[in-house]
Amino acid sequence: MRKTYMVVVVLVLVAIVGNHLTSASSGRAVSPEDFAGACAPCGAPCPSKK
Amino acid sequence: MSTATLSAPKSAVAPRIDYLFLGAAVLATAILVALVLLDGQPASAALILGGFGLGVAFLKAEFSYTASWRRFLNAGEAGGLIGGLIVIAICALAVVPVAALWPNFGGAIAPLGPSLLVGAFVFGIGMQLANGCGSGTLYTVGGGSGRMLVTLAFFVVGSVFGSLSLPSFLALGGIDPVLASDYLGPWGGLVATLASIALAAALMIAVARKRGANWRPSRSYIIGGIVIGVLCIGVFFAGGHPWSVTYGYTIWGAKIFAALGFDFSNAGFWQWRGNKQALVSSVLSDTSSLTDFGMIFGAMAAAAASKPFASTAWPPMKSLLAAAIGGLLCGWGARIGFGCNIGAFVGGVASGSLHGWVWFAAALCGNLIGIRLRPAFGLSRD
Repeated sequence: MRKTYMVVVVLVLVAIVGNHLTSASSGRAVSPEDFAGACAPCGAPCPSKK
Repeated sequence: MSTATLSAPKSAVAPRIDYLFLGAAVLATAILVALVLLDGQPASAALILGGFGLGVAFLKAEFSYTASWRRFLNAGEAGGLIGGLIVIAICALAVVPVAALWPNFGGAIAPLGPSLLVGAFVFGIGMQLANGCGSGTLYTVGGGSGRMLVTLAFFVVGSVFGSLSLPSFLALGGIDPVLASDYLGPWGGLVATLASIALAAALMIAVARKRGANWRPSRSYIIGGIVIGVLCIGVFFAGGHPWSVTYGYTIWGAKIFAALGFDFSNAGFWQWRGNKQALVSSVLSDTSSLTDFGMIFGAMAAAAASKPFASTAWPPMKSLLAAAIGGLLCGWGARIGFGCNIGAFVGGVASGSLHGWVWFAAALCGNLIGIRLRPAFGLSRD
């Protein structure tokens, strides 16, 4: 299991760094609930807004 | 007394540091912190380090929502649940008034309706099969459990499926979030929130007494609950909203699916502004991912600092199957139900949002089913 774990840790770290370096940075870290109209942590709209 | 008997206990209790994994955990954390600091984002660094602290605290206190809920439902033991309420009460002291008074902060809110009920119920089934909730999965993965690696992988897949289902469930209707501070103001809302937590604790104690079970939390749950509660407040101030876990899983899964060629342009969930941006932004721009990564590496560091890391054998296939099914149900349920024990229950109740208690009640019912299903996969009902 140790070998599996080490492979997973390396792959995950490479994926995170690769994604970060190849993606746009939004500046300050955000969550969908930070956007206008969001009614839940995932950014879902409020029932009354439909 | 011989030298051998003198030295034996000493060697038995001495921690065996696993330098390879301790070093890997610290190095990985340092790399992530350096990346966000290079982008000029100290708050992101704080979220990673807050997550790291949470990983250490959860692992050291062995703070388990899943086991606590199971002990309560099986035997009436309420100590674990009360430990969880300590976390929420401490977190609420900051979240309710600050979210109501400062425009850059917000609580964890969610609409009330079929989506919340179904999602929380399914999540409750899943957490007993998976043997972990959102936070539990993170710290046990970090702690070296191969079984929970399987849970996490399927949790991620399930949450992507959930993101595709959520708009249909929301179309079934519901009512807007009910927030205590909206009706009672910041301080009245805080009093109402703390009163609701006290009432829940009283009910749990009454059930425990009626069943002749212990209701006092263990020392590690009291200390762990206080530390985790304080760290929750730190994460709230760094991120601007209460700590959440499972949204990060959804983003990771969606990014992997997109890389494999899956097109999300017709999926309603991924057209909402925040999700659309998250899909194309760096994963280190998402607050829940930052604390998630920190928590995994924090738990890994704590585990590797005390014993050889991931030294146990893989569990039986039936147990891995339960981990996979439980992970899928947890992922799907968390997305439909607006979060897990942390994002929906802890964050919701600590924000004074009614959905937190509704989520708890529905998830507790799901746990009853999950506990009954455990023996079919070779897992103990206790």
